[in-house]
Amino acid sequence: MTMWIVVVLAGIATFSMRFAFIALFGLVAVPPLLERALRYVAPAVLAALTVPAIMAPDNALDLTNPFVPAAVIGGLAAWFTKSIGAAIIVGLPALWLILWLT
Amino acid sequence: MTTKARPTWKDGLRDVSPVIIGLAPFGLIFGVTAAAADVDQLAAWASSFIVFAGASQLAIVEVMGTGGAAITALFTAIVINSRHLMYSADMGRYTSDLPIGLRARMAYILTDQAYAVTGTRFPDPNHTEGLPSYYFGVALGLWTTWQITTTAGFLLGQAIPPEWRLEFAVPMVFLALLVFSVKSIPGVLAAVVGGTVALATMHLDYQLGLMCGAAAGVLAGLMSERWFV
Repeated sequence: MTMWIVVVLAGIATFSMRFAFIALFGLVAVPPLLERALRYVAPAVLAALTVPAIMAPDNALDLTNPFVPAAVIGGLAAWFTKSIGAAIIVGLPALWLILWLT
Repeated sequence: MTTKARPTWKDGLRDVSPVIIGLAPFGLIFGVTAAAADVDQLAAWASSFIVFAGASQLAIVEVMGTGGAAITALFTAIVINSRHLMYSADMGRYTSDLPIGLRARMAYILTDQAYAVTGTRFPDPNHTEGLPSYYFGVALGLWTTWQITTTAGFLLGQAIPPEWRLEFAVPMVFLALLVFSVKSIPGVLAAVVGGTVALATMHLDYQLGLMCGAAAGVLAGLMSERWFV
């Protein structure tokens, strides 16, 4: 039940943010500080999600775990192709290769 | 644009097709992850059309599936999706003449990719002939792909052996989005500080470290602007 509540509230909040300035155009301007802060939300929260998952997959910092080199390869694939799919399609086989070699 | 015919939904669908190819593996991974997670399965699947924002859906499943608090999951989803405020502000300049009901439907399917593709085709808010049709071609193409691939991944879910380590695809998705999102030196600092603080606080209960990292990263980005912008 908790999961349903989270999903529905996230849905309502997400739609509200998508609709907010489309609906209010001409009536309300985007506050300048919000506009500046929003630029850093994506890098900050995505790094907060990514870094522990890759550098501490078992809840302890371990820079020699196989996720680290595989993530570097997957990250470079994303960088060059601008595609999420490429990060998966290149990163995952890189991980298999590293696991197989070690 | 003056010599070009008014674009239709078919042009939108054609322009978005390379993006769709890149989106499909992400959809599959979300479905597989949702099916394997220790959460209400139906709610996780339903998030594809209730929330319809992949990174936040994945974050909700991750946080809820690893014992995080509901408030952490919700906060994380809202923070991740707050970037839509920027798209909304920009799209508002193009849609101010349209009926409000149509604008609401356009808002529901507003995504990073729909915004980027449509913005490329319509660089000037004073020239929006054919925009709604074009936009629905782009955005509904993405929406349909997301529903099909997440459902397919969800149905495949349990059939995939754990040795495939598909869970690694989750940080790969976030990493790819991270790479796309960093566009300036303050952006790099926001990421470095956000990641480091999240790592340092990862043992906090309810996955609160995620919120600490996000807040610290945004502050770092804002405060460093005076030196780098």
